[in-house]
Amino acid sequence: MTDRVEKLRDLDVFIYHGKVDIPDTYSAGTVGSRFLIEIRDNKRIMGTRCPACKRVYVPARSVCKDCFGRMDEWVEVGDKGTLLTYTVVHVPTSVQLKEPPVAYGIVQLDGADTGLVHLLGEVDPDQLQVGMKMQAVFAEERVGSILDIKYFKPAA
Amino acid sequence: MANRVAIVGVGQTYHRSTRRDVNQQEMVGEAVRAALADAQLSAKDIEAVFTSNMETFEGIYLPDHLMVDEVAAFGKPGLKVCTGGTSGASVVAEGFHFVAAGLFDLALVIGFEKQDTGDTTAAITASVTPVWGKGVATGAIGEFAKQALTYMQRSGAKEEHACMVRLKADRGACRNPYAHLRLGLKSVEEIMKSGYLVWPLRLLDFCPQSCGACALVFASEEKARKMTNKPVWIADLITVHQEPFRAGSFGDPTGLETYTQEVAAEKLYKRNGITNPRRDICMAEIYEPSNWEEMSLYEHFHFCEKNEGWKLVEKGITEIEGEFPVNPSGGVIATNPIGATPTIRVAEAALQIRGDAGEHQVTRDVHTAVATALGGPNWTVMTLLKRSL
Amino acid sequence: MTEKPGQELLTVEIARPRPYRWSTGKYLGRLYKEAMENKRLVTNRCPKCKELLWPPQAVCGRCKVEAGEDWVAMSDKGTVIQYTYLVFPLWDPHYGEKLANPHPTATIKLDGGVYMVHFLEEKDPQKLKEGMRVQAVWKEKQEERGRGLGDILYFRTIEE
Repeated sequence: MTDRVEKLRDLDVFIYHGKVDIPDTYSAGTVGSRFLIEIRDNKRIMGTRCPACKRVYVPARSVCKDCFGRMDEWVEVGDKGTLLTYTVVHVPTSVQLKEPPVAYGIVQLDGADTGLVHLLGEVDPDQLQVGMKMQAVFAEERVGSILDIKYFKPAA
Repeated sequence: MANRVAIVGVGQTYHRSTRRDVNQQEMVGEAVRAALADAQLSAKDIEAVFTSNMETFEGIYLPDHLMVDEVAAFGKPGLKVCTGGTSGASVVAEGFHFVAAGLFDLALVIGFEKQDTGDTTAAITASVTPVWGKGVATGAIGEFAKQALTYMQRSGAKEEHACMVRLKADRGACRNPYAHLRLGLKSVEEIMKSGYLVWPLRLLDFCPQSCGACALVFASEEKARKMTNKPVWIADLITVHQEPFRAGSFGDPTGLETYTQEVAAEKLYKRNGITNPRRDICMAEIYEPSNWEEMSLYEHFHFCEKNEGWKLVEKGITEIEGEFPVNPSGGVIATNPIGATPTIRVAEAALQIRGDAGEHQVTRDVHTAVATALGGPNWTVMTLLKRSL
Repeated sequence: MTEKPGQELLTVEIARPRPYRWSTGKYLGRLYKEAMENKRLVTNRCPKCKELLWPPQAVCGRCKVEAGEDWVAMSDKGTVIQYTYLVFPLWDPHYGEKLANPHPTATIKLDGGVYMVHFLEEKDPQKLKEGMRVQAVWKEKQEERGRGLGDILYFRTIEE
């Protein structure tokens, strides 16, 4: 039994501690798969370019929010970019990937018009600054996940 | 008096158990593009976007936020509704109310579900509150299994009749390119041979889990008359709720309580001058999760007398070529992308009125049709559609 | 609208149980307390229509009035209205595994008049029928109770 029941001391009210445990399998889709496979096989970060407004989306997606056009043109944006904003998580939660402190940031890769949310690493959180240049660090073993990029570190 | 609202565009995806080639929002985008093309509109013409989905079923939370770009919603207003099995009809109600109120002239109404992501039956089980302790865990299937048993004993219907409903559904589905299960079933024996899932429901007695989406374009009267010579009017729409646990989750097993289907049908018919539903309405697309439920629903919607639903089946009255076709599309038992399922009922009924249902267009002329939705615990939505008002 | 064969399509699997803390509130709490301490089923009655509300609650949805504190103890005997049993094991999200409980489920009309979905002790399909009389079998140890209707193991067939 993993569930637990607690009765409030002064009231006839019970608190039931349970869980909902349903495994989910998300589809990356055709566009998302290609994006992840390029990272996995070639350590290459790719975006898609809108034929109308020329905006480059990273991660790659299939439709431009403004123009509603299909984006079939793939563009390599490189592994370096600019830190747009960041935060440092100090409180552990059940859904965190790592023990705190964990730094997250939004990195706009050179050549992209959108930001990519990812972990930040190899850096003292106190040294982080908006606008600093960042570089992707790829995992040794890559499996086709966004975590094939381990994190972004300050560019040399 | 509310403004008139017409359906001027219909689009749906094809349906499968899995769609690994698209993520959820891309799948929904397919239906949106189809509906816009059908209405001969571009994304910029749409003023508001309403969506429906049961997000716990696939574990993709706030899907409406994720799919803004794919559903032409960027910078526009809209809401998502989530009312269980009736979600895809509640969103029709929502779009209808907003356009009828005169707030928008053109709105998109979308239902979707990508069931290859989560486990719907488990999610329905999880939605049972801890009141009942744990593990009375059969999702919706167990409820419909129990109801099948009651229907069998109450009405005198035989398993053969349920099989005939299943064969009818498959004949429709085989003529509908968008349907999910197109099995080419030939005989009652074939269905009897499919194994039990939850007794007395066999695998082929129950609806599948489908991935798919359906989009509708709603227009105000002024817009509709300018855009198309085949508008389909939403003549009326009714929603009836029931409190949970009064009796069964999807209906009353004793026959003593009134079903929400009966309350909805009686009110809807009364305020639209319908005295003989099978004469005054030409066809129906109903939400029937199982073949047994379809026969039972015929009775609740007063398509026939009590305990005679199976006789309509025996006489072929509800076949595509019949006097009162029900679910010529193949229905829910062939295709069930939950959040989209009731939206598809409305879409299919609209196509029948337009005469655009293709291979599964019914034989008789359709000027009036009804689309229904069902959800736990026993909620009902009915939409009445007409060719002219 | 066709799938292009050949391209590798990726999926991401996430199996992360979501914990929750659910409060019975005052009215259900009374049911939980009586079940836990006295192996007794209780509910409250609507002051207007006089019908038993079930499960106990603050409001009568039909009369739209405050339900109040007119508490009634009910017999734990009842009649099976509908039943079914799983042939195909389904995923149980509360445990995170395939449903292990081999007992049939039934809608039972308690003698007090309210309906309950619960398990039947009898596992032989040949011996199940609508209208059969049953009585609750409670968990013996009080420390295992405190789970509302989960304090009942299943309903046992009775002869009267």
